[in-house]
Amino acid sequence: MIKADRLTKRYGGLTAIRDVAFEVAKGEVVGFLGPNGAGKTTTMRILTGYMPPSEGRAIVGGFDLSTDPLAAKRVTGYLPETPPLYPEMRVCDYVRYVATLHDVPRAKRNAMVERAIGSCGLDAVADRVIRTLSKGFRQRVGLAQAIVHEPAVLILDEPTSGLDPIQIAEIRELIRRLAAEEGRTVILSTHILAEVEAICQRVLLIAYGQLRVDARLDALREQGSLEQVFVREVQAAASKDADAAAATAAAAAVVEAEL
Amino acid sequence: MSHILAIAGRELRSVFATPVAYVLIAVYMLFAGFVFFASLGLFLVQLEQIQALGMTNLLEQWNLQDIVIQQSFSTFTFLLAVVVPLLAMRAFAEERATGSIELLLTSPVTSTEIVLGKYLAIAAVLLLVTALTGLYPVLLFAYGDPELWQTLAGLLTLLLYSLALAALCCFISALTRSQIVAGLVGIALALLLLLLPFAAESSQSDTMKAVLRWLGSSTHFESGLSGEVRSEDLAYAGIVIFSSLSMARAAVDSLRWR
Repeated sequence: MIKADRLTKRYGGLTAIRDVAFEVAKGEVVGFLGPNGAGKTTTMRILTGYMPPSEGRAIVGGFDLSTDPLAAKRVTGYLPETPPLYPEMRVCDYVRYVATLHDVPRAKRNAMVERAIGSCGLDAVADRVIRTLSKGFRQRVGLAQAIVHEPAVLILDEPTSGLDPIQIAEIRELIRRLAAEEGRTVILSTHILAEVEAICQRVLLIAYGQLRVDARLDALREQGSLEQVFVREVQAAASKDADAAAATAAAAAVVEAEL
Repeated sequence: MSHILAIAGRELRSVFATPVAYVLIAVYMLFAGFVFFASLGLFLVQLEQIQALGMTNLLEQWNLQDIVIQQSFSTFTFLLAVVVPLLAMRAFAEERATGSIELLLTSPVTSTEIVLGKYLAIAAVLLLVTALTGLYPVLLFAYGDPELWQTLAGLLTLLLYSLALAALCCFISALTRSQIVAGLVGIALALLLLLLPFAAESSQSDTMKAVLRWLGSSTHFESGLSGEVRSEDLAYAGIVIFSSLSMARAAVDSLRWR
C-alpha cells in the first residue's frame, strides 16, 4: 500500500532524511520510532504529499505522489503532529468540511461524518466550537478528520499525544479495529514504546535521518526489549553520525590546509 | 467546483464568526458616512451661496451627482485601500501561521481551487460592502434627483476596484506567515497605486508617463465613477485580478516545495 523508494529530503544544507526505503503491506500497522528530530515527521509529510522529496519516490495506494498526487491524497488520511483545526468551527462542520475536500459523495457525507465522530468518541461535543475543547478532544477531532473519508492508508503523527490513559486505550482500540476489521494500512509515529507493542506488528526505527531498523515486532523481541533495541540503535546511529561529522571536519581541514 | 465552494463557504463562515469583518465594515461605513454627509453639507452651503450671488448659470453643473456622489465615491477608494487589505490579509497568512494549511495541502484539492475558494469568499464580502455603500446614495434618491445609472456605474467601479485590490492582497498574503506584514504591504501598495498617476504628471519621459498612468489604479476608475465604465478599465481590473490570482497560485504551489 505504501512504498518509500530511497527518500531523501534536504532543507538547504541540512539533510533531514537520507535514502529511507521501506514498504508497508495492506492491513499492516507499523510503528514509526525515533528520537526527536530524527526525520519521522519529514518522512510522513512526504508520504502525505505535503512536500516532495529531494530524491526518491513515494507511492501510496498504488499512486505515485509525484505524478498523481490527487489520487494518492484521496486514499490517505493524515493526522499531522499539530491537528490542522479551525478553532472557530463547530466539530461536526469541520469534519464535514474535510469530508467534502476529500470528495466524499454528498449522499454519504452525513452518515460518514456521524460515523467518524462516533468512532472518535466525539458525540457529546459534536456541536461545540473547537476552540472550547480540551487538548484531548482536539486531538480526537484531528483523528476524526483523518478517518472520515474512510481512507485505505492512515498516517498518524503521534495520535495519542496529550490524551489521558483512558482516551489512549480507546484510540489504540480504534486503530487496531481500523486495521483488523476494515483492512486499513496504518503508519503511526510515537514516543511511547508500549504503544508500539500494544498495536503494531512491525517497527520502523529512524535515527539521524536514516532507517536503522525495519523488522517485525516478534523478531525484534528476540534481541531484547524494544527499549534496549531503541537505545542501542540510536546510539549506534549517533556514533556513525559523529564519525561522519568528524570525517567531514577532517576533510574540511585538509582542504583548508591545501589552500 | 465543489472544492472551491466548500473552501469559500468555510472562509465566509469564519470571517463572520470572528469580529474582524464586522469591525472593519462598521469602521468603513462610519468613515464613508462621514465623507458622504460632509460633502453633502458642503454642497448645500455652496448651493445657497450660488443662489445668493445669483450665479444661476453655474447651477447647471452644480448637481448632486457630480459634486456629492462622484466626489465621495472617489474618496471611498482611499478608504477601500485600507479596508480591503485588512480583509484579505488573513487569506493564507493565517493558515500558514496556525498550520492548518497542512490540511489543504494534503487534501486532494489543487492550488487553483484553494486560491479561487479563498478569493470567492473575499469577493462575497466585498459585494456586501459595495451594497452597503449604495445605501448612502439611496438616501439622496429619497430627497433629490440623482442619476440612477451613473450611480450604479459608480458602485460597479468601486466593486471592480475592490476586487482587483483583493486579488493583489491575496497574493501578498500567500507570501508570508504574518497577517500584519501582509496587511501593511497591501495598504502601502494600494496607496501607491492610487497615487501613481500623480507621480506620472511630474515624469519627464513620455513613455514613463504613460506607463505610470496606466499602472495607477485611480486612472482607471475616474471615468467609471462619473458614470462611464470603459472597456479598457474593465480590462485593467481583469488583468490585475487574473495576474494576481495566478501569482497567488504559484505562491501556494511553492509552499509545497519547502
